[in-house]
Amino acid sequence: MNLTRSLIRVRRRSAFLASVFAALAALLLTPTALAQQSLPSIEQLVNEPFLDDYYSNVVYGYQIVNDTQHFASRYVGNALNCKNCHLNSGTKADALPLNVAGMYPKWRAKNGKRNGIGLRIRECFVYSMDGIMPPDDAPEVLAIAAYVTYLSQGEVMGAEPEGRGVPTLPATGYDPNPANGRAVYLEQCASCHGEQGGGVGDMPPVWGMNSYNRGAGMNRIDEAAGFIWANMPLGQDKSLTHQQAFDVAAYLNLQYRPADPRQSKFLKLLEDLLP
Amino acid sequence: MNWRTEVFAGVVGAILVIPQGITFAYLAGLQPEYGLYGAIFVTLFTSFLGSSSMMSGPNTAVAILIGSAVLPLAGRGSPVYIDYVFILCLMVGLIQLLFWLVRGARIFQYLSPSAISGISAGAGFLIVMASLDSILNLSTFNTTFFYEKLYIIVSDAKDLISPYSLFIGVVTIAGGFIGRRYSHRYFLIVAVACGYLAGMLVSFIWPQPVTELEYLGRMPLQWLPLHVPTVNIEYLMTSIKLIPYALTIAFIGLAQSLVIVRELRMTTDQEIDLDKEVYAQGLANFLAPFFSTFAGSGSFNRSKANRSLGASTPLSGIVAAGFVLLLITFLGPILTYMPMAAMAGTLFIVGLDMIKWSDVKHYAPERPELVIYLATFVGIVFFGLATGIAIAVFLSVSVFLLRISQLDLSVERDASQATLKVKGSLFYASVSHLTEQFRTLRDQDLTVDLQYTTHIDQSAVDFFTHEAGSMATHGTALTLLVNDQQRAFLLSLGLSDTITLRSTQPDEGDAASE
Repeated sequence: MNLTRSLIRVRRRSAFLASVFAALAALLLTPTALAQQSLPSIEQLVNEPFLDDYYSNVVYGYQIVNDTQHFASRYVGNALNCKNCHLNSGTKADALPLNVAGMYPKWRAKNGKRNGIGLRIRECFVYSMDGIMPPDDAPEVLAIAAYVTYLSQGEVMGAEPEGRGVPTLPATGYDPNPANGRAVYLEQCASCHGEQGGGVGDMPPVWGMNSYNRGAGMNRIDEAAGFIWANMPLGQDKSLTHQQAFDVAAYLNLQYRPADPRQSKFLKLLEDLLP
Repeated sequence: MNWRTEVFAGVVGAILVIPQGITFAYLAGLQPEYGLYGAIFVTLFTSFLGSSSMMSGPNTAVAILIGSAVLPLAGRGSPVYIDYVFILCLMVGLIQLLFWLVRGARIFQYLSPSAISGISAGAGFLIVMASLDSILNLSTFNTTFFYEKLYIIVSDAKDLISPYSLFIGVVTIAGGFIGRRYSHRYFLIVAVACGYLAGMLVSFIWPQPVTELEYLGRMPLQWLPLHVPTVNIEYLMTSIKLIPYALTIAFIGLAQSLVIVRELRMTTDQEIDLDKEVYAQGLANFLAPFFSTFAGSGSFNRSKANRSLGASTPLSGIVAAGFVLLLITFLGPILTYMPMAAMAGTLFIVGLDMIKWSDVKHYAPERPELVIYLATFVGIVFFGLATGIAIAVFLSVSVFLLRISQLDLSVERDASQATLKVKGSLFYASVSHLTEQFRTLRDQDLTVDLQYTTHIDQSAVDFFTHEAGSMATHGTALTLLVNDQQRAFLLSLGLSDTITLRSTQPDEGDAASE
């Protein structure tokens, strides 16, 4: 009787000591534990059998960015995917990376109002994807917002992340020359984007009715030139000169593409209704 | 069977179901294509497996319940949300198949018709409230009670309401009400067309970045949208919360379907097997997730249209399913620019039609029915559809129990003895009604006339034995007037032999008159 009781007591005491040690260890290790507990990588998340609401939306957003044609087909009007401009699923610096959640809401001149991340994403669908503006509570918008938030972990709120957007090229002193741009395009770009700009295989169309419309940011020569210089040809970043990038951008802008949805409403209606 | 009539009815059914499928998918919190698949596959399976000309498919009450069940677990329309909806539908299908296994179709006879009308009216109210979201282009927001929502809408009208969207919604509703004067069957189509044209007009004058109108969008439709629902241990653990909703949905789906089927069986000469219909509903809902859609049930309005066109076999449902598939393949590009405000406008009309003043008048003479109707309606309006349905079931069953435990007693007494006639069912709940009568009649010889009693149970026999004993102490005797069957039955239950059993056979009656 006595023996068992003391045994129990010993056991209890040892259990108590163990729990104290465990608590102390936990307290001491917390900072390192937090540091080690980094974000699960997107590959880990994709293979997870069950995810909570946030992470499932992150994965859904990742899927939309990579295969917009399939996962967000409801609001897409052309043949592009988000990853065509936001290279490496929106993680490559100087290629419009998506780690910008901390910068929103902010005022933008484009629509003259305060923009949340939701409105920014919805405008992508209208201009770059030449489609329909999703409602602000569309699952697709919320998913992309979750993915953008996931990518922005570790960035400073309100500050501009490293390599945001595209680099601004310095003025070269010469006007962009579309004729030279055509020569560069045919030599360097046509193998992937096609001589008629329609895209070859998986490569995106850069003009034509399956490309971005006149309201897209890429339709501005500065922006397109910065993007081309920093990222094109794919795998040979920054191999073109600034002037060549400007020339190619000017050449692209001369081609036909869907109208700006803000201006030619009638044209837009016809574009959408006639296949 | 006239196959031409069937095919024509099926085609009309297909035209009617497309706007409903889209809007009910919206109510369930899903993308429109899921509703359209429901209009195809749930309709197909129920008609194929069932035995009646009932049109099944997406249903308002079921859609609202799916929405309110899954919304606390995940964001509207997100991948996890859709997985939960599929699990919920699997549960609903299994529960309904269980109903079929125990031959439970007759349970639904106890649900009073006024409860069904009350549920329908309450669902109509919820639909009207939900349609306001899209008509006014609000982001979805939930309030505890409906008047809070109305208050917010009115007080913040200037910031919240989109005039473009409101214009389209009002044109749609006006088109519906004007169209109804000319055609009772197709006015919803007229309403949708009006809304679509209003949407075109708006998009012609103002660009979409300004109006921020919500469009249906391009639907990624497939002919055979096969899908294996994700079922793993984590989903099952978290979807335990869905079980009460699954029960409610299974119940209300079957209740609505069986009300329609019963009406068809009474008013037409179709050969209808209620259990087979339960089986069809259950299996269709169980298979729904495998075809990327959600559960449904019989539809009142489409079944009515189907009947008025003269359809009398399941063929019309099968044709409707096939024709939906054809229609959406060709209509898809046109539907892309369908404003959600126009869809919500039709939803508004449908909801308003479900709240009928004539129902109140119909049930007004019968007090309990009116109470069931009003309590169900108020319950749904204030506490949600699931609670309202629970109230409806509880009240129907209570009224039913109160009615059958009521005994119709009439006393004839003269100087020496009294006769007590008992009509109704004599069982443990109703025996207590006899006690009072026995107390007042104790000092006389008593004859209890049981020939109009439908059922007698052990507690009644015990009661008679006990009373006969106490009457003997007062010097009086108890006689039971029974028929042969009852005599054998009472003796087998151990009736005391101090009680005289008198038969009601004619020859015995002659003997008594001697």
